[in-house]
Amino acid sequence: MDELELLKKDWQKKEEHLPRLSFDEIYKMIWKKSSSIVKWIFYISIIEFVLWATLNLISYNQESFQLEKAWHIYEISTVLNVIYYFVLIYFIYKFYQNYKQITVTDSSSKLMKSILKVKRTVTQYVWFNIGIFTISFLLLLYGSLKYGEESEKILSAAAKSGNETLFWVMFAVICLVIIGLILILIWLFYRLIYGILLKRLRENYRELKKLEV
Amino acid sequence: MNKELEHKFVTELENNQNIVHKICTLYTNDRHAHKDLFQEITIQLWKAYPKFRGDSKFSTWMYRVALNTAITLYRKSKKRVKTQDYDSVIYKIKADDYDETEEQQLKLLYNAVKQLGDIDKALIFLYLEDKDYTEIAETLGITEVNARVKMNRIKNKLRTILNP
Repeated sequence: MDELELLKKDWQKKEEHLPRLSFDEIYKMIWKKSSSIVKWIFYISIIEFVLWATLNLISYNQESFQLEKAWHIYEISTVLNVIYYFVLIYFIYKFYQNYKQITVTDSSSKLMKSILKVKRTVTQYVWFNIGIFTISFLLLLYGSLKYGEESEKILSAAAKSGNETLFWVMFAVICLVIIGLILILIWLFYRLIYGILLKRLRENYRELKKLEV
Repeated sequence: MNKELEHKFVTELENNQNIVHKICTLYTNDRHAHKDLFQEITIQLWKAYPKFRGDSKFSTWMYRVALNTAITLYRKSKKRVKTQDYDSVIYKIKADDYDETEEQQLKLLYNAVKQLGDIDKALIFLYLEDKDYTEIAETLGITEVNARVKMNRIKNKLRTILNP
């Protein structure tokens, strides 16, 4: 006899041994809070939006305003800021749109796809922020070297070192290493959060995708 | 949400709760996790219920939401400690009704099914529930041909587990 037929026959008989919940027990359940993966992604995303926007906001205060004026990077910094808020609005809109598309009555494959799409929007937003911060960092570096109080010391140190080219190459390398380290840390952090949260979903999605080939 | 809707929903779910229990049995290992998953499925069903038009049967609609919750939305199943095996409990009760070899074989089969991946389990579940390949394919979002191919592979896998 076919193994599965045997299983099927028994499966149908199994009903009487299943647990049974009363009307009241089920009624109580509908008011409980969901702990679904979608809810988690939603909360994490909101934290991302608030966190990065706040970081951007607090980096603009009276002091930095004066400094930017003095270093002649005020205009370009303002343009960067305006762009930032337009893109932020775009990301919030896109996030909301994608989030609304998550429907539990879709096919499994489509549901997984919509969840991954929401996550992708947030990842793009994070990368955009990192990009903006990198540009701001380079801008400040440029300003401080050209107009800053310490700039003369640095420049004369470069001249004194004998090999000016080597000095600047070292300088650039150090900057790149700092930026690189920060990026790796942020990347690891996200790998950890989403890795834990989405591991199973990704595996299942891959499995379904494999079937489509 | 009004009282009438709540009452209607809970009654429908109460009448069809076996479907959800069966999914919970497949995807969890102990009573606590079983109840937890049942609750999450109930919440998801209730959230989606206002959009349920009644153009399909309540049970048909339920299969999709419940399976989606188990394989995609539910997060905690792996975290739970395996305290007691649900099936072995059931088998202790049922042992008398079966002859030795068939019972042994079924026990092996259930254990084998439990070892399958989430997607394979979903396919097997729908198959055991007597769903045709069109519905299986639509529920999972794959083509009918691929659902058949996959099902054959699972059958072979089970066969090798049973006859090593």
